Amino acid sequence: MYNSEVRGRLITGDKSLGQISREIIAPIHAKTPVWWYIAVLVGLTMFGIGGYSIFLTLTKGIGMWGVNNTVAWGWAIINFVWWIGIGHAGTAFSIFLLILRQKWRTAINRAAEAMTVVAVFCAGLFPLMHMGRPWLFFYIFPYPNTRGPLWVNFNSPLFWDFVAISAYLLISASFWYFGMLPDFATIRDTAKSKIKKAVYGVFAFGWTGSSREWLRFEGLSFVLGGIAAVLVVSVHSIVSTDFAVSVLPGWHTTIFPPYFVVGAIFSGFAMVLTLVVIMRALYKMNDFITDSHIDAVCRVLIFISLIMGTAYLTEIFMAWYSGSEYEIYMFFHNRLFGEYAPQFWTMFISNAIVPQLFWFKAVRKRMWIVFVISIIINIGMWFERFNIVVTSLSHDYLPATWAPYSPSLVEIGFFVGTLGMFILGVLLFFRYIPMIAIAELKSVAKFDKSRKEQLKDTKHE
Amino acid sequence: MSKDYILGVFKDEESLVEAFEKVKEKGILPLEVYTPYPVHEILEGMGIKTRITHAAFFYGVFAAIGILAFLTWAASFSWPLNYGGKPFNSFPSFIVVTIVATILSITILTLFTFSIRAKIFPGKVPEIFHERATDDRFVMVIDKDSLGDNAESINSIITEFGEIE
Repeated sequence: MYNSEVRGRLITGDKSLGQISREIIAPIHAKTPVWWYIAVLVGLTMFGIGGYSIFLTLTKGIGMWGVNNTVAWGWAIINFVWWIGIGHAGTAFSIFLLILRQKWRTAINRAAEAMTVVAVFCAGLFPLMHMGRPWLFFYIFPYPNTRGPLWVNFNSPLFWDFVAISAYLLISASFWYFGMLPDFATIRDTAKSKIKKAVYGVFAFGWTGSSREWLRFEGLSFVLGGIAAVLVVSVHSIVSTDFAVSVLPGWHTTIFPPYFVVGAIFSGFAMVLTLVVIMRALYKMNDFITDSHIDAVCRVLIFISLIMGTAYLTEIFMAWYSGSEYEIYMFFHNRLFGEYAPQFWTMFISNAIVPQLFWFKAVRKRMWIVFVISIIINIGMWFERFNIVVTSLSHDYLPATWAPYSPSLVEIGFFVGTLGMFILGVLLFFRYIPMIAIAELKSVAKFDKSRKEQLKDTKHE
Repeated sequence: MSKDYILGVFKDEESLVEAFEKVKEKGILPLEVYTPYPVHEILEGMGIKTRITHAAFFYGVFAAIGILAFLTWAASFSWPLNYGGKPFNSFPSFIVVTIVATILSITILTLFTFSIRAKIFPGKVPEIFHERATDDRFVMVIDKDSLGDNAESINSIITEFGEIE
C-alpha cells in the first residue's frame, strides 16, 4: 500500500477503534450544551424573519422586492448561486478526494456533505419564490398535461437548471444518508437508552456490517461517487449557462462554466473550513481533524484562489482585447472604476489576494486567522455573484433602460432566513448525527501505524 | 431449534485476516464475517461477487436512450413549438438534460438495487450476532454443522488469534 509521509498522521493520540467510535459519538450521548440552545434560538429568530419575508412575498407579490424591469434578478439569484456554490464542497470533498485517494478526506467529508444538503435546500428556495406563484411550480415538470400536452422548453437553461438542482439535491442527500448507515448502526449498538437504540435502529436500515453488505456498499459508493463527480462539474456549469447564453455584456463569455465551477468549489471549501474550525473548537475533535487537515484545506484554497485571480484577469483582458465597446464599458467603466467599483474590489481582494496569506505556515497554524479568512472568502464570493448579476443587468445596451438596484428589507430578510435555516441545519447535524464518518475513519486508522507494523501484515495482501 | 454457531471474535484486522485464511485452508468457509469497516481480504476471500456496477451501467444506457427519445418526441412530434426559429429537434441542447436526468436515474435505481440485494431497508430488524461488530470487534460466524471433524482445529485457530464466544 502506497503510504505518503507528507500528510502526517491522520488521527493523533493513538486511538483504538473503540475509542474512535466513542469519541465521535460522545456529543450525541452527552447532555445538550447551553450554547446549543442559544444558537438554536438565534437560528430560529433568523428563520422567523425569513418566514415573515416569504409570507410578505407570497401575499403581496414580488413587488415587495427591490427588483425592477431592468434588474429583474436581484438578491434572489445572487443568493441562489452563492448557496449552490457552497453546496458544491461536500460533493467535491467526497468525490474528488476519493478519486485522488486522499485519505485525509475521511475526517471532513461527513460535515462537508451535511453542509451540501442544507445549502442546496436554502438555494432551492430562491428560484421557487422568484417564480411569483410558487404554488404553480409544478408547471416546470414535463408532465402530460391537459394544456395540449404542452411541454416545457427543453432548450432553456432555466429548465436545465431546474433538472440539475433537483437531481443534485436528491443525489447528494442520498449519498450522504447511505454513507451514514454503518455509523447509525454503531450508535444503535453502543447506545444505552432504549429510545436511542430504537430511533437509530430505524435510521440504520438494519445494517450489521456483514461482508455481503460491505461488498455491495462499496459497489454503491463506487457508482454514486463516479457519477456524482460528473454532477459536480455539470451543475454549476448549467447554472452558469443561465447567464452565459444571454447576450448581455459581461455575461456572454465562454469562460463562465469553468469560472463558476471553480468559484463554487472555492466558496464551498471556505465554508467547510469555517464549519470545521467551529467543530474543532466546540467539540474538541482536534485528534481527528488535526492541524494537518486544516493545513491541507488551506493549501487547496491557495491554489483555487490563484485560479480565481486568473479568471478575473482573463475576463478583464478579453473585454479589452475584444474591442467591443459594450464589453469595455461594462468592465472598465462599470466594474473596475465605475459605479460598482467598491463591490468589484471587495470581490477581487477577498478572493484573489487575501487567501494568498495561506502561503505562510504561521497563518495556516493559527485557527482564528484561518477562520477569519474563510469568512472573508465567503463574503468575497457573494460579491462576485453581485458583480455578475447586478452590474451587467443595470447598465445594458440601451441607456434609456438603465436602472439602479438596491435590495428591499424583504429581500434581505429572506436571505437572513436562509442563513438561519443553514445554522439550524448545522446545529441539528452537530447534535444528532456523527460528525465524522466513523467507519471510514477506522478503515484509515491502520495507516497511522509505523512502517514496521504495516510490513508485517502485507504478506496477506 | 436454532442452529449452533461458533463466534470467533477478534480485536484487530490482522488477527481476523490470519484466522480467516487458516480456517479457509481447512476447507471451511465461515457463514459470515462482520467487521466495523470493509476489509478487502475478507470480501475477496468470502468468494462473493457484486454486479451492482454492471447493473448501474445498464440503467445508465437505458435511461439515456429513454430520456433522449422522450425529449425528441415531446419537442418535435407531440407538440412542436417554434422557439425563435430554432429547429424542433435541437439535439445538442437536449444533451444537458439527458446527462443530468440519466445520472439521477442511475442513482435512484442503483440505490433500490442495493437496498434489495443487500437487504438494507427502512424497518428491517437486524440479526445481530455480536453487539460490538459495528464498533471495534471483528466477528467471524461459523456454522457448527459445517465443521465435521475439524471442530478441534478450528477452535484452536480462533483461540490463537482471538476468542470464542
